[in-house]
Amino acid sequence: MGKMYVIETHGLTKYYGKSRGIIDLDLKIEPGEIFGFIGPNGAGKSTTIRTLLGLIFPTSGSGRIFGLDIVRDSKEIKKQIGFMPSEIHYYEKMDVLELLRFSANFYGTDCAPRITELAETFDLDLERKIIDLSRGNQKKVSILQSLIHEPGLLILDEPTSGLDPLMQAKFFDILKEENNKGTTIFFSSHTLSEVQKMCRRVGIIKEGKIIAVEDIETLRKKQLRKIQVEFSQPAKISDIECPGVIAPKVEGGNIFFLYSGSMKDFLNSLGGKDIKDLIIEEPTLEEIFMHYYSEENGKH
Amino acid sequence: MVNTNLYRIELKRYRNSFIGWSISIIVFVILGMAFYPLLMQEDMLKQITAFLENPFMKNMMTAFGASIEIWTNVLGFYSTRNAMIIMLIGSFYSILLAGKILAREEQEKTAEFLLAKPVTRLEVVRSKLAVYLTYLVLLNIVILIIGFLSLELFKGDSRYSLKAFIIHWFYALLLMLVFGAIGLFLSLLIKRGRPITNLSIGIIVGAYFIDILSRVTPAADKFGYLSPFKFVDPGVLRYDYALVGWRVMYFLGMSLVFFALTFLRYKKKDILV
Repeated sequence: MGKMYVIETHGLTKYYGKSRGIIDLDLKIEPGEIFGFIGPNGAGKSTTIRTLLGLIFPTSGSGRIFGLDIVRDSKEIKKQIGFMPSEIHYYEKMDVLELLRFSANFYGTDCAPRITELAETFDLDLERKIIDLSRGNQKKVSILQSLIHEPGLLILDEPTSGLDPLMQAKFFDILKEENNKGTTIFFSSHTLSEVQKMCRRVGIIKEGKIIAVEDIETLRKKQLRKIQVEFSQPAKISDIECPGVIAPKVEGGNIFFLYSGSMKDFLNSLGGKDIKDLIIEEPTLEEIFMHYYSEENGKH
Repeated sequence: MVNTNLYRIELKRYRNSFIGWSISIIVFVILGMAFYPLLMQEDMLKQITAFLENPFMKNMMTAFGASIEIWTNVLGFYSTRNAMIIMLIGSFYSILLAGKILAREEQEKTAEFLLAKPVTRLEVVRSKLAVYLTYLVLLNIVILIIGFLSLELFKGDSRYSLKAFIIHWFYALLLMLVFGAIGLFLSLLIKRGRPITNLSIGIIVGAYFIDILSRVTPAADKFGYLSPFKFVDPGVLRYDYALVGWRVMYFLGMSLVFFALTFLRYKKKDILV
């Protein structure tokens, strides 16, 4: 089979009745990498994760984790997975320690020292009832239950929502630590900036399809910028003539566009023009998506 | 195999409700049987006999499978009055517990946590089923003990067959099992595990009235076999009262079918939380 991937899917497709979940997903996650899985809400991130975990079953296509089939060998696979769901729902009557033991017992390991250690790191009171915990503390429980059995693959579904910045930093430190030990991390998020800090590669999913898989480095090099130029006179598209301008749009005296290329070249191209205002900003994730989207459409 | 970790946690989770239901059954049985010695007082018996002469009351008594002759025997009294209530309470307990034990994971969205652990779907169903069966059997052991004690305590001069008591008890257990199997299966047909409490209560009450109707109206006798209650043989005072093969087969067959359907369905179900 050639190279062994931690996660490998081929044409993985899931429909809920007639409504779209994911379409033709091809993913290849390499051992030891931190892979960012980016997309807006409803794009299919959770569907992908749930299919990988065997919570739902693919309509067509297939997937392997550690070389094992995601449908047939789900139990074997899950022995090596730590999963953090986006929404936390636990057995509310349990206290934290009870839940963590319950969780750890599924893996047949004695995790007591690790529970204590992680609880200290995250400053989590093990004796509180789950129901009495704040959202942030519940999130910590979620982190702990995903880590205590030292999994080979961590699947994180929007893990940082509800964590304060300090805890987020601790969390990222631990993820890096685990990653250094060889743990592969599949990190789903709707914010690129969050993932940028952690990941080597990101996959972008939109409307159920992977529209791009990129090295973070490449993304950075692309230096996509969102630019708005205001002219004194009503503007025309031809007022902006510079390679790297993407999808320009004219509104009155303003031209809006995305730009990827050298800033110097761009500023030079404006030389001598009657400019009233110039705004250069970091594009939102949605705009980056749109960029990939239009590229993707352009190819076909 | 049953996952012992899940079994233990679930056992603990449903312990308090089990205790509650047990207590209510104990109270019902004792209060119910305490009437028996009162009924047996000479003047009371006469009054009641006279009262029951009126045709409406006669019909009512038939509906509940009772008559004054049956009531004067302690086991007859127990089986038509108490055991009926016990069967109803037990059936409610059974269908509600079974209807909740698996679906609750989806309803409370804990399924995402549970199924991300290394357990197969079948292990989850088997473990939950084991918890359900444990409590069903325990509840019936409570019923057996309290039933026996109350018979002994209140029987006075009346004689009864211990064997008949146990056979009737066993029928009731099988009846509860069928309702549990139905509840477990139905709960899986509902998306996101929404509770089926109302449906469950409706099923029991409906089945109960079908049975009653079939007893009052001879024409509806066959119709009664739509209800599992009809398959419990109420004739505890007959000398040939016994466990009958086709009745037992009905209960076990129904249960097995619904349990099997549950396994098949849960194995393939998309868990949407």
